[in-house]
Amino acid sequence: MSYFRAVDPFPLESPEQTRLAAFYAGLADGRLTTTRCTGCDRTAWPPRLFCPECGADGVEWVDLPREGTVHGFTVQETGLPAGFPAPRVFAIVTVGGHRIFTVLLDADPARVAVGQPVRFVPLAIDPDSKGNPRWLPAFTPSA
Amino acid sequence: MRKVALVGAGVSKFGVRKASYRDLIWEAGKACFDAVPGVKPRDVEGLVVGSVMPERTAFQSHISSLAAEALGIRPGALSARTEHMCASGTVGIRYAYAFIAAGLADLVMVLGVEKLNQPSGDEAILNMGTGVDREWEAAFGLTAPPCFALAAQRHMAEYGTTEEQLALVGVKNHTHASKNPNAHFGKGATLDQVLCSRMISTPLRLFMCSPITDGAAAVVLASEDRARDLTDRPVWIRGTGQALDGFQLTSLHEDYAHWPALRRAAGAAYRMAGVTAADVDVAEVHDCFAIAELIAYEELGFCAKGEAGPFVAAGRSDYGGDVVVNPRGGLIGCGHPLGATGVAQAAEIFVQLRNEAGARQVPDAALGLTHNNSGMGEHVVMLYGREAA
Repeated sequence: MSYFRAVDPFPLESPEQTRLAAFYAGLADGRLTTTRCTGCDRTAWPPRLFCPECGADGVEWVDLPREGTVHGFTVQETGLPAGFPAPRVFAIVTVGGHRIFTVLLDADPARVAVGQPVRFVPLAIDPDSKGNPRWLPAFTPSA
Repeated sequence: MRKVALVGAGVSKFGVRKASYRDLIWEAGKACFDAVPGVKPRDVEGLVVGSVMPERTAFQSHISSLAAEALGIRPGALSARTEHMCASGTVGIRYAYAFIAAGLADLVMVLGVEKLNQPSGDEAILNMGTGVDREWEAAFGLTAPPCFALAAQRHMAEYGTTEEQLALVGVKNHTHASKNPNAHFGKGATLDQVLCSRMISTPLRLFMCSPITDGAAAVVLASEDRARDLTDRPVWIRGTGQALDGFQLTSLHEDYAHWPALRRAAGAAYRMAGVTAADVDVAEVHDCFAIAELIAYEELGFCAKGEAGPFVAAGRSDYGGDVVVNPRGGLIGCGHPLGATGVAQAAEIFVQLRNEAGARQVPDAALGLTHNNSGMGEHVVMLYGREAA
């Protein structure tokens, strides 16, 4: 197992490891958040430390809507990386004017469609090397 | 700027090779030196090595120095590695070109090498996740196939492109590869075989995808004076362009069937060369997946936007058509040893423009193009001419 720790593909989410830790803390609370520039009010996705539009370094955390729609998708049936089960529905979803890359959970691959409504669900993944829980922003069909 | 030409090229056998990272460097380097008898390793002033993930596959960094020592090169002007995912090889050629054009060197080798099938097949696929964003993409299990599948879905919905048209890219490139003894695959493929191959990521099937391949390729670039001393048939670099739209999928054009960065990179190269798409006789384009070759036809200007499906179906990208695309078999037929691919594309254009391509020869090829991408959002284009201007 120590070997696979060395090729851990998941984000480092704790406050000791990333300045985006507030985002991951939000996921643990069931909230989908991102950063908004306090200089020009633009909201970014994904969250970031400074605004690439106006250059201001002040950002604040804001909630994104929990509902979105499928912008595009594909079902990967084979050739997934080790540890990721098939089939897997990869999707771009539109949420609050942002495009978010994600996976659709509990979705029938044959019934996924562009424009389909989806809702945010935090996805628990392997804990980090110190045993801290980790989360990703996933979505699932609303209906 | 000074004129720069290719004066030699060589490739290793591509495939799932019983050969080490260093063996592959030896094979391609030796083949390249054999192609340009006037150049001894000690004459080479610079070496640029394109290689993406030797740290993961070969437990090896410090690549350019390793390769220089293996080949007997003692760089005095330039030694560097380029890592730019799948475009690493062509990015290396651009550096060598700029160095020579600026007068900082006269003779530089660019070598691309990758040993992907190591230590295991599962890990080879996991490693591909390093080419997308770990935090926002790879963590979900994303590698290249779903990215290009999103583009294929969009192209089919928007322009009516069919599975059969996607499959015809696979048929063409597997057929071309059957005439290339260095290709990963040598048996060709029928339309039925492509359409019945297993699904990777909807709608892309196995034979519409490039495989995971070990391989290496090398070219030697020279200043005008050195080039004319070394060969009576230099292959001149006529134009080059590179452009980035974005890294993450969600930073790209919201319509994944549109690749504006490729259009910009191609435009820069065409302007620099003073040519248009209609002048290109032979093109090596980045068919990592069949949809990529179709979209490349459009963004490179070989056909109008949305018409790539009918273009391939009518044979206009094959021998006897408007432009021969991927005569060596492309990434689908030759394989895709990431860092080696861009250099192998240049090596093919080198033999094509010198009329040395044998069974693959494109009749009277005078202007050649290479297109190498690193994801859908970043593209590099080179133009090569039989004539210097």
